[in-house]
Amino acid sequence: MNIKKLLNYTALAVGTIAGSAVVAQDIKLNVWADSVRVPMFEQYAKDGVELNITTISAPDLVAKIQLAMQAGTEVPDVVFFNNVSYTAQLATRRSNFVLDLSDLIPQDVEDAYSKNANSVCELDGKLMCLRNDVAQFHIWYNAPLIEELGETLPTTWEEYEAFGARVAEKGMVIGSATQEFPMMNFLASNGCNFAAPVEGEANTLRIDLSTEACLRPAAMVDRMAENGSLAKVGLFDPSFAELYRSNKVPFLLGPSWFAEHVIRPTYGAPEGQTGAALPPRWADQDQPITWHWGGGTYAGWTKTAHPEEVADLIEWVATDLALQTNAVTMPAHEASSVAWGAAIAADPWYANDQTYNVMLEAVQFSDPNYVTLRIGLEAAFGATVAKAAATGESIVDALPALEAELTNQAKLNGYTVVK
Amino acid sequence: MMSLLLSQEERKSAEKSARRRNIGYSYLFLLPYLILLVMFGAIPISYAFGLSFIDTIDYVFYGISNYQFVFSDFRITRSLTNVVTFVGFWVTLTILGVVTLSLMLDNIGKRTAGTLRTLYFLPGAVSSSALVVLWIFVLDPAVSPFQGIMHLFGWVSLADTIFTIGMPAVFMLMAFFTGAGGWIVVFGGALSGISTDVVEAARVDGANRAQLALRIKLPLIWRSVILMGILSFATGMQIFVEPQLMGMARGPFHIPDWSLNQMAYQYAFQMGDFGASAALSSLLVGFSISIALVVIFKTKFYDIS
Repeated sequence: MNIKKLLNYTALAVGTIAGSAVVAQDIKLNVWADSVRVPMFEQYAKDGVELNITTISAPDLVAKIQLAMQAGTEVPDVVFFNNVSYTAQLATRRSNFVLDLSDLIPQDVEDAYSKNANSVCELDGKLMCLRNDVAQFHIWYNAPLIEELGETLPTTWEEYEAFGARVAEKGMVIGSATQEFPMMNFLASNGCNFAAPVEGEANTLRIDLSTEACLRPAAMVDRMAENGSLAKVGLFDPSFAELYRSNKVPFLLGPSWFAEHVIRPTYGAPEGQTGAALPPRWADQDQPITWHWGGGTYAGWTKTAHPEEVADLIEWVATDLALQTNAVTMPAHEASSVAWGAAIAADPWYANDQTYNVMLEAVQFSDPNYVTLRIGLEAAFGATVAKAAATGESIVDALPALEAELTNQAKLNGYTVVK
Repeated sequence: MMSLLLSQEERKSAEKSARRRNIGYSYLFLLPYLILLVMFGAIPISYAFGLSFIDTIDYVFYGISNYQFVFSDFRITRSLTNVVTFVGFWVTLTILGVVTLSLMLDNIGKRTAGTLRTLYFLPGAVSSSALVVLWIFVLDPAVSPFQGIMHLFGWVSLADTIFTIGMPAVFMLMAFFTGAGGWIVVFGGALSGISTDVVEAARVDGANRAQLALRIKLPLIWRSVILMGILSFATGMQIFVEPQLMGMARGPFHIPDWSLNQMAYQYAFQMGDFGASAALSSLLVGFSISIALVVIFKTKFYDIS
């Protein structure tokens, strides 16, 4: 806090000196963000900097940046990326948009982040963005239902499977077999390399789905889809919501935003029902590995006329306590996250006051392989394993197709692929 | 004699200038369309064609590298197969469905036919983006009004329906119901243009309704059928909205590179490779134009005699 304050004052002082030297003229920064992040940027108040904020709907963002760069006018200086892949997609020779923040963001800011939260911003050893929110998978459970069943929540995947087998007989499910991100979570939990960066080798991905690391979780999902403990529809399917409402889902693995943005509004869970628990680990692992489902980032434009101001704005919006306390999802910046968590802990909608503590502990198990990629993992998983699961086919049998798809995609996008 | 000759010559030249004036008027009436065609057709196509030979980062001549990149993309055969299957299904269904329905409508009372034509046209009035959303609901056995029938087949989820029918057939259904109504109206016009004498003569000669439709009316409207075939083919090759919006159903239905046009979109807006995008788009438009030319000239489409 003190260091940050000091830095702010220094920046202010430097800014004032620079400002008085060059006649007071406001620096204008173009900012593009989605409707949720626009009000955050609007609170930025710094002498000498004026923001020109534009609301861009999330699906149009990349296309509009590409067009702006082609046209060469009105390119945003600062953007909010609602998809962690955009950093990599917009840091190529063809779409050279993203500003290298390595020397602009102080190391102590990076250190103040939750573990591996900024793995999605690191590209070949450089810091290309700052993470807004984390989206780690952990257990979300229906406390009264667990009690009624007389069950305890699983701590290992082996217990997870056994739990599923027991409740499947009662027509209950503990997740979906067809949703891409949960599928990535199953595979990643056992260290499966479906698109893992290789330490020290730029532009290289390890893609090998024939290993035991992948076969073990895939076989588990197959068995669970077979006995009905994993639904053959996605988590957003109306029929899944119906299952949830009719008390047929004792727990599921979902990202940190799942309670506030799905279980509460879509599934309509009543007060005092929903609790959080740590993600399971495999019996032979010391601790769990957890994948993320989303999380946004802030990035700058590499050709901006004001890199210092851009970095300052990005740092502020991503880490300002007052701002992030009211964020709609769990902040990636740890101090902000703790401030944000107070509201979760005090919210009577949750089953107990431990929810936020569990979320904070779960984020420590974040998979460092959750990085920014130029390939679309979701589409590749959708076209192969998710399709197999949805049509009642084996996921183990679909792994070679997934490997081929990912390998081809990676090569097409200029990666070196190793096994 | 002399004056008569002169007046003939005068008449000739007057006719000539009148014809020239008429042609002049034709071009004048065509002008707004031609301006639009140049602005939104010719210029963008030529621009894209030029761009397809350029590296769009350094703006240097790139030879056929963009085309090589497109052809070496592993997804190209897959997308081509998808699109060709879809176009095959759709053009066949459109020709058979629209011709059959139009000929049948021509056989019933004018009032009923008019009402039915309006009904057929209604789905076409909904924009195709909204229609996709509607179809996702119709095809989902959990919420569909046809869930009874779907449950008979043992379909319980959207995946059961879509993957049993197949994506190309699903898009065929979507596109057919969007486009067919408009064509049925056009064909209604074409059929009402057939001289009643011809129809009466055929009827007097003992032609029944089926013979009348297939032997007399169909040969008289075949140009419209071909026109519909060409236009459907050209639109079908460019399919984009349906597969793109199918992604809203997420999961295995979200295939961002299902069609060739989606790939062109991905090249430009995901990879930032406008050159490759222009190359693929040029191939697509070139293909559609050549097919149209072949059909027009080989079938003497505009031969009035």
